[in-house]
Amino acid sequence: MKFPYGPAPLVILIIAMITGIGLAVWIPLSRPSGYRAPDLVLATFVPEQADAYRAALPKFEKENHCKIQIELVDQQALQSRLQSALQVGADVPDMVELMYGTIGVFTKGPIQDVGFIDLTDKIKTSGLYDRLVTNRLSKWSSRGHVFALPHDVHPVMLVYRSDLVKQFGIDVNKLTTWDEFARVGREVVRRSRGPDGLPAHYMIDLPTDGNDALILLLLQDGVNVFDAAGNVAFDNEATVNVVCWYVKQIEGKTRISFPCGEGQNFAKAMIDGLCLFYLCPDWRSNRIELEIPSLAGKLSLMPLPAWKPGGLRTSTWGGCGLAFTKKCRNFDLAWKLAMYLYYDPAQLGPRFAATHILPPLKSAWNLPQFDQPDPFYGGLRLGRVYAALAPFVPEEHYTAYQTIANAKLSEAFTSASLYYQAHGDVGLRDYARAELKRCADRVRIVMHRNVFLYPPSAQVSEASGK
Amino acid sequence: MNSLQIFLIILAAIFLILIPLSRSFAVKYARRTVLLLVAALMLMPFIWLICAAFKSTDAMSQYSFLPPPSQISAKTVNLGNFRSLLAPQPTIQGPVTFWRYVTNSLFLASAITVISLFFCSLGGYALAKYRFAGRNVIMIYMLASMTIPGVVLLAPNFEVIWRLGWMDTYKALIIPGAVGAFGIFLFRQAMLGVPNELIEAARIDGCNEFRIYLTLIMPLVRPMSGAFCLISFMGSWNAFLAPNIFLQSQNKLTLPVVLNQYMGTYVEHYGVFLAGTMLAMIPPAILFFALQREFISGLTSGAVKQ
Amino acid sequence: MSATPIASSPPIPGLPSQNHPSRKRVGRKLRSRSTPYFFLLPFIVINLVFFLYPLFYATVLAFYQTNGPARRAFVGWNNFAFVLHDPDFHKALWNTTIFAVFSIGLQLPLSLGLAMLLNSKNDRFKGFFRLAIFAPNLVGQVFVGIIFSVLFAPHYGLLNRFLHELVGWGLEQQWLGNPRLVMPAIIIAAMWMYVGFNMIYFLAALQNVDQNLVEAATIDGAGPASIFWNVTVPAIAPVATFVVVTSTIGSYQLFELPYNLLQNNGAGYGPSNSGLTVVGYLYQNAFTNGDLGTGAAVGWILTFIILIISLVQIRLVGSVGSES
Repeated sequence: MKFPYGPAPLVILIIAMITGIGLAVWIPLSRPSGYRAPDLVLATFVPEQADAYRAALPKFEKENHCKIQIELVDQQALQSRLQSALQVGADVPDMVELMYGTIGVFTKGPIQDVGFIDLTDKIKTSGLYDRLVTNRLSKWSSRGHVFALPHDVHPVMLVYRSDLVKQFGIDVNKLTTWDEFARVGREVVRRSRGPDGLPAHYMIDLPTDGNDALILLLLQDGVNVFDAAGNVAFDNEATVNVVCWYVKQIEGKTRISFPCGEGQNFAKAMIDGLCLFYLCPDWRSNRIELEIPSLAGKLSLMPLPAWKPGGLRTSTWGGCGLAFTKKCRNFDLAWKLAMYLYYDPAQLGPRFAATHILPPLKSAWNLPQFDQPDPFYGGLRLGRVYAALAPFVPEEHYTAYQTIANAKLSEAFTSASLYYQAHGDVGLRDYARAELKRCADRVRIVMHRNVFLYPPSAQVSEASGK
Repeated sequence: MNSLQIFLIILAAIFLILIPLSRSFAVKYARRTVLLLVAALMLMPFIWLICAAFKSTDAMSQYSFLPPPSQISAKTVNLGNFRSLLAPQPTIQGPVTFWRYVTNSLFLASAITVISLFFCSLGGYALAKYRFAGRNVIMIYMLASMTIPGVVLLAPNFEVIWRLGWMDTYKALIIPGAVGAFGIFLFRQAMLGVPNELIEAARIDGCNEFRIYLTLIMPLVRPMSGAFCLISFMGSWNAFLAPNIFLQSQNKLTLPVVLNQYMGTYVEHYGVFLAGTMLAMIPPAILFFALQREFISGLTSGAVKQ
Repeated sequence: MSATPIASSPPIPGLPSQNHPSRKRVGRKLRSRSTPYFFLLPFIVINLVFFLYPLFYATVLAFYQTNGPARRAFVGWNNFAFVLHDPDFHKALWNTTIFAVFSIGLQLPLSLGLAMLLNSKNDRFKGFFRLAIFAPNLVGQVFVGIIFSVLFAPHYGLLNRFLHELVGWGLEQQWLGNPRLVMPAIIIAAMWMYVGFNMIYFLAALQNVDQNLVEAATIDGAGPASIFWNVTVPAIAPVATFVVVTSTIGSYQLFELPYNLLQNNGAGYGPSNSGLTVVGYLYQNAFTNGDLGTGAAVGWILTFIILIISLVQIRLVGSVGSES
């Protein structure tokens, strides 16, 4: 009798049977003999870190007679899984690496309800507090309680095409403020404009929708989307300044920037010298070196221009941290593991050489790897220049409403940008101020729906923040 | 006027010249030309993909497609991405190679496909050809169940899987995927076209109900079975979020999950990822060629005449 | 309508049909009364566990605000009221509707057209063409995100270069950075991804078209348009209904595509939320804001909207309930 579903489903059935038998017999899914259930499970979303941790584990396991499992999960999936598990009270890993900005979801209720262990006291009593870049703890904190250990510092500099900058006769030492930077930038764009009206070179790579770059520039000026108490804080004069400055660089006659994007497009723009300057946190310096080797010797780094003369010359972009879930089976061992993976100098030296990521442990910056000249950047001592800025990275504060706040900030920014396209400079500041206020108020409305942080009875009195 | 515009104008001109000469040939020409242009547009990303898979990181950042012939050398175009992809990875479950992930994916996709083919066609038959109390209720319920976005059910589903003790097992993916409203609805619609007289005739001949489904109905909707298998297989083959959430051991993961691991957070290994994406396309492409005979030439095996 | 014998359903031996007509009829009637339930049993069981229970849970949540398993507060219809008054939800609903209109109005006719072009018998290359058009379904969503960042980039983007060559416009367009171009970009990307997918259903449905009828109509002097409306359309109507309904549902559930295209630009769904969809809004509420209750409320509102649209569509096409 013929297979009633036709030959193709038959073939699929046969594939299912062969692969099924194959998985069951030759490569059993069940645990291999001699398998020992792990004492701790650490879940991370960063593939590079999973590799580094797996390589470092055997030594730790041997010394502590334990077994550690590293799970690598996509960031979005890890976040969904963790939230689902904490919501329904299901199993969670003992330790979790979180992406910057994602901690807020877990701290949106009363402090005692947070699914992670409060590390504040442990950090103080273990002496870790004095050894870390303390500003870095802010992004893993809520209302003064620290819930994760910072993995990195991520200070930001500008990477630039030193050959082209020289060709244009720019003295980077004089680019000390963003206004001066923009002035020189307009000169560059004017001089490189081709017959078709398009410049061959722009001054800097900036996305036209703001986002990460806008927030980075705001942080540099001391503006956080949220203040330390978790209140919306982006409707103020400093934000108006930065937003107005930014839209002028991406639109109209004053434009000095091009949005280079990521990946292949970014690489091509760098190779063509489409932009002279690019925002460059520590991790990106490594990425550029790996992905665009043909630029060797043509690049150099400088601190960010400041918003005011003598102002802060750096900012921060990205990062991850290690949290311990309340279901952690063995906190002492987990803490020990965290110290080993995060703050053990023997690990940090080689890891910096491989990743260019600056650890928050200040003493680590004295390791020889941080003084290593990097020929790719014209012999610059990368570790040294980033470490010089690292203690000054601005504080960051995150809440559960980070994404919506960013989206609303971006909305106000886009409105301002469209206004500038249509009407130019006249009235821009007032318009931007009003839009920022409108968008910030919207975030406040959303936040005040949270009955755990803002009990309905207290809502009126707390409307302006507590 | 540039070369692309001239090329398109020439194509159109040939069509205009052909019309007075031979109408049917002109139509054939137009059909083929349109298909070629559509295929070229559809395939451009894949040409980019294949070029990228064989390029070194340096060449990847410099050229959209392949480097110019003068620049092609072992340094710019090589198998390095595939070599990194196929190298065994050390995991807590022992070394795991790429082929293990291929086997996992093949097993999951094909198992889910055959099981859901059976259950969905069975359910579709019931809804298309029986009158029974509650039929319309079930229809509306099915429609409603398709409209609920899956994201809403993520947290409670997670709880169900966890309470059943199915975390990190294939059951968590196969059993919830074993039958779905989409498939039942599809088969119901396809089976509406089967004349009731055929079924009545078979009943009079004494066939039992399951036998009618198996030997009469299923061969008649064979084109739709082929289409369903293809769609279902592709859906499981490319599934990303569910395997990521429910599977934990590295050696049980599926291809999309593992390939995504090459897209690091700080450094993205585009080349290796794209090489893997290219290889991962091969099994479903073979399946497509094997299956398309089913839903294209279903007619010859015995047509439903209405 | 002629019930021609079916080649693959041989008469079954050993089951004499006319022996005890009356007794057999009764037994059969009973059996066939339970049969459809029996056939639907797997669906019902699996659906109860993996759909109805979670749905019940989510429905309860829609009236609460929660924070972990221990803490919940009843808020009544507050979640629904908030969503219905939220300008972001209005924007998301508008964006999603635009997308649905274009994917039904543009993509489905294109899919059907391609299916008909590829349904011809005598073309040696049709296998290749079919694969080419279906090919986007062979790759996962992560690749889609990468390839469209390559295609849509200003200056270097392949799409921009192509448009620039073709019509002299678009080289510096920022598809994903300009609020006016984000939805068009998503529609273009969706076209590339799903045209081949829907073509498969139409190809299978076209096998239902009776070639004898087509020939007879041709001999009678009917034009291609007349044959299409009078022969092809009735034959593919049930499957076309399926495709229209599921495409509408799918369009309203659009999430992954804009998420992959826009999330790597930073947080959010494009400038001014111009790429925000309803499920994107749901995800934002449920997971990025961590408010599962409001997320569930969005889910219910969306379900209500889609269900009404689907029922209207089915009524319009008129194929549900009317057996052939």
